[in-house]
Amino acid sequence: MRKAIIMLLVALFAIAGVYAGGAGESGDSDVYKIGFIGPLTGDNANYGIRCSNAARLAIDEINAAGGIDGKQLELIAENSEGTVEKALSSYEKLAYTDEVCAIIGPVFTGPALAVAQRCQEDGIVMISPSATHKDVTAQAITNPDGLNYVFRTVPSDALQSEVAAHYFYEVLGFRKLASLYAMNDYSQGLADGMAETFTSLGGEIVASETCMVGDKDFRTQLTQIRSAGPEAIYIPNYTVEDAQILEQAAQLGITVPFLSSDGFSDPEIYNLAGDFTDGVIYVGPAQAEASSILSDFQAAYSAAYNGDAPDSFATNSYDATYIIAAALDAADSGDTKAVRDQVAATKDFLGANGTINFAANGDLVASQGVYEVEGTTPVYIGSFQVVDGHIVQVD
Amino acid sequence: MVTLTLYLQYIVNGLTLGAIYSLIALGYTMVYGILKFINFAHGDILMVGAFVGLIVYEALLGTSTSGAWMLIAFFIAMIASMAFCAVLGMFIERVAYKPLRNANRLAPLLSAIGVSFILSNGAAWMFGTQSRRFPYPFDNTPLTFLGISITPHQILILVVSVAMMLVLAFFVNKTRMGKAMRATSLDQPTSQLMGINVNRVISLTFAIGSALAAVGGILAAFDFRVYPSMGTMTGLKAFVAAVIGGIGSIPGAMLGGILLGILEAVGAPLLHIPNGLRDTVAFAVLIIVLLFRPEGILGKNEREKV
Amino acid sequence: MINFFMLILIYSGVYALMAIGQNCITGSTGMLSLCHAGFFCIGSYATAIVCKVFGLSFWLSLPVAAIAAGFVGFLIGVPTLRLKGDYLCIATLGLGEIIRNIATNINPVGINSIPRASLFGYQFASRNKMAFIFLIWAFVIIFYILFQQLAHSRLGRAMTAIREDEVAAQSNGINVTKYKISSFVLGAAIGGIAGCFQTAYTLTVSPSSYTFMVSVMVLCTVVLGGMGNAKAVILGAFIIQFISYFQQLTGLTNVIPPQANQMIFGLILVVMMIWRPQGLLGRDKYRYGDPRTWRQKIAESFGRKKGGER
Repeated sequence: MRKAIIMLLVALFAIAGVYAGGAGESGDSDVYKIGFIGPLTGDNANYGIRCSNAARLAIDEINAAGGIDGKQLELIAENSEGTVEKALSSYEKLAYTDEVCAIIGPVFTGPALAVAQRCQEDGIVMISPSATHKDVTAQAITNPDGLNYVFRTVPSDALQSEVAAHYFYEVLGFRKLASLYAMNDYSQGLADGMAETFTSLGGEIVASETCMVGDKDFRTQLTQIRSAGPEAIYIPNYTVEDAQILEQAAQLGITVPFLSSDGFSDPEIYNLAGDFTDGVIYVGPAQAEASSILSDFQAAYSAAYNGDAPDSFATNSYDATYIIAAALDAADSGDTKAVRDQVAATKDFLGANGTINFAANGDLVASQGVYEVEGTTPVYIGSFQVVDGHIVQVD
Repeated sequence: MVTLTLYLQYIVNGLTLGAIYSLIALGYTMVYGILKFINFAHGDILMVGAFVGLIVYEALLGTSTSGAWMLIAFFIAMIASMAFCAVLGMFIERVAYKPLRNANRLAPLLSAIGVSFILSNGAAWMFGTQSRRFPYPFDNTPLTFLGISITPHQILILVVSVAMMLVLAFFVNKTRMGKAMRATSLDQPTSQLMGINVNRVISLTFAIGSALAAVGGILAAFDFRVYPSMGTMTGLKAFVAAVIGGIGSIPGAMLGGILLGILEAVGAPLLHIPNGLRDTVAFAVLIIVLLFRPEGILGKNEREKV
Repeated sequence: MINFFMLILIYSGVYALMAIGQNCITGSTGMLSLCHAGFFCIGSYATAIVCKVFGLSFWLSLPVAAIAAGFVGFLIGVPTLRLKGDYLCIATLGLGEIIRNIATNINPVGINSIPRASLFGYQFASRNKMAFIFLIWAFVIIFYILFQQLAHSRLGRAMTAIREDEVAAQSNGINVTKYKISSFVLGAAIGGIAGCFQTAYTLTVSPSSYTFMVSVMVLCTVVLGGMGNAKAVILGAFIIQFISYFQQLTGLTNVIPPQANQMIFGLILVVMMIWRPQGLLGRDKYRYGDPRTWRQKIAESFGRKKGGER
């Protein structure tokens, strides 16, 4: 028996070795490889799947148009399952086995923090389409050249929550807000940031309730919030939680408006919450009025993926892919340092989410859009910026 | 007065959550009562039940929006899901647990974990991991009196779980098959000698437990949504409920479920701690109950035989 | 490929340490515990806090992690050891969830940018996997030897006695409570050390890494390899990590559906329990001293067996 097991193991490794050997040698120089790390399975996989779909769409478009200087792009999507360990192993595979030119992702903050450390150390460009935590771009730069390799096409939650708080206070005129947020890296950062700015403006957070990711029953928190009597409730969560919060709030007879964040731009919410979404106001990416890039992208995405609609993170992912493609084009090589220099030099890049610039630390510099949901359709109100402590509508 | 209304609202909320736990805990308790092992796959059978229910319901409904047909379709979907899960439960028992009946205690537990992996990942593979909404087949506008809101769905859950408990208690205590079940639970070899078909009893137990899980799964699905890992945490909580109430005892499962639900709803506000810590409250109570009354609140005390 | 294989070696080293700890509790003493993720979590956080917040050396965090996890093991052990079998399992499961729940509520992001470990000026950077492999597997071997020796000690014999028959052990004058707690503390401390190495490699701790699934996987590692057999447990850790990362190792991520290995793993568990419940290698035949010479050992490992199989 023991012998049989050992034989079996040896055979297994031999097969694995042959496969991997074959996989390793296929790296020819006619292809630029771009990696993607995101949750393709798990409870919040919808975000990862949309981001990888958008990146793949961008790459298909570029390849159909002749590639970059005759070279094709190849997307290698790895599943992080939303965990740090799997994200790191995905990184190892992309960086060392596939030797990619750049990485799009990781989608969630926790994995992004871990991978950002490695990207800074090894000198590989990482552009996250959706990791909003402020620390993602604050990782120590440990590569020998002392250059920043971490970028993102999503606003840091500091930026988003600042605009949100100003909008709620100055434009909507709310003075008493409640927040109900999940204890995860995304929601907590936004809720804390919003609360800080909102109170500094003179507003009051009358109730700040927490829940856990995966919770199904929010009635206790909503009952507490109801008794605190806020003018509106801020719910910067993922769609699964938000859908249940909206539905259970209606069941408890809560009629005050709900406010949310860019996580709400995921169309999944309308499948899950139906018309309970009516009247929700959320802060998301700004839209470039003058260009048709966004509407073209949305149409192409729907056509490519069975009528599914992209969320704002997918749009960010689409932009990130084009930024990398532009950098590869300008650099004329897949050398990671050359690609980084071109990405860092990105100036007024016109993407689906408007004009994109990067700050020195890799953060997105952009104005924020505000949307109001009518029934199950988000209506764009306008894009806003905070200038000298006051909110200003840009267009 | 305001606080009283507030706490009454918490308790109403907790009751419905607890009723779902109770329904699932009933299945756990039956299997544990007879085979003395934790059926970790029970939560995943719940998930399968919800998926089957949703698929049958949507297929039957088609584009129809007639109120009566929605209720009928829902009823058929429920029956279909119960039947499917009963067969699935018996099949799993036959394949994965029966060969281990005389093995050490760890073997069936690990086997159940394996089955749980297969079911939840199989569902993720077939249906994807995103959540789906189970539409209400009836008007779910909340009723309000004295400032307390309750929805028809919550009332339905409460009624169904109490009814299920009563039916089950009647079945186990008053019928011939129920008697055979109790005998098997006390002493398997002796029951066999007395002419009880132990295999059939165990199969039946799994069928009933799994059908109950299907009911729980569908009723929970309105609130919880349907997704492949929906059963994991819910199943775990339901098991905790069964242990608190006294595993092996049918009223105990009910009591444990309701207690756990109310604790989750009331615990955090009562102790003035963040609601994120409600699981800590629930598990802490579990440990305290186990320490002072290891057999659970309504459980029977079993001494270890030498 | 080679690089990825080295990564698997690192991860399986960490798992092997955890499994040795779990083996101490479940395999040797026969207590079914499901909170190794909790001990792992405590160890990781202890390292993160010592290195990041206090800015102290990684090597100092090693004993701190072990002591912290061991202390939590003690706190858990004392009250819950009154419980038997499945009740102990459920209580420890609850404790594991409590630890994760509290960690998440303190800070859902966890701790990141933890300073690297260094030894005589050499920095353990995550890209230099060879150094980590030597470091982690050195400890795996140390603990392996320690546990082989434990079997000959008073503690090891007492643990086995408790596992085989608690009442008989007690009536033979073994202080059951004392040895049960010792085994719990020891197992927990090794789990903490595993967390310490995990943190040294990932330089990030995130509360989402310490779910109930981790505890289940560690238990499966022990049972899959063979309960009470340290060698088998290490083999089990390796196999489990190999299965988990099979797609990424072979570059077949886009070919094999991501759920496949979990499903196959589930199938393996069921089949193993039916056909070989004692695990791949089974219990160590020579727990109380090996009478064979090394010549016989080599001969036996090449298949010329004398005794029957267990």
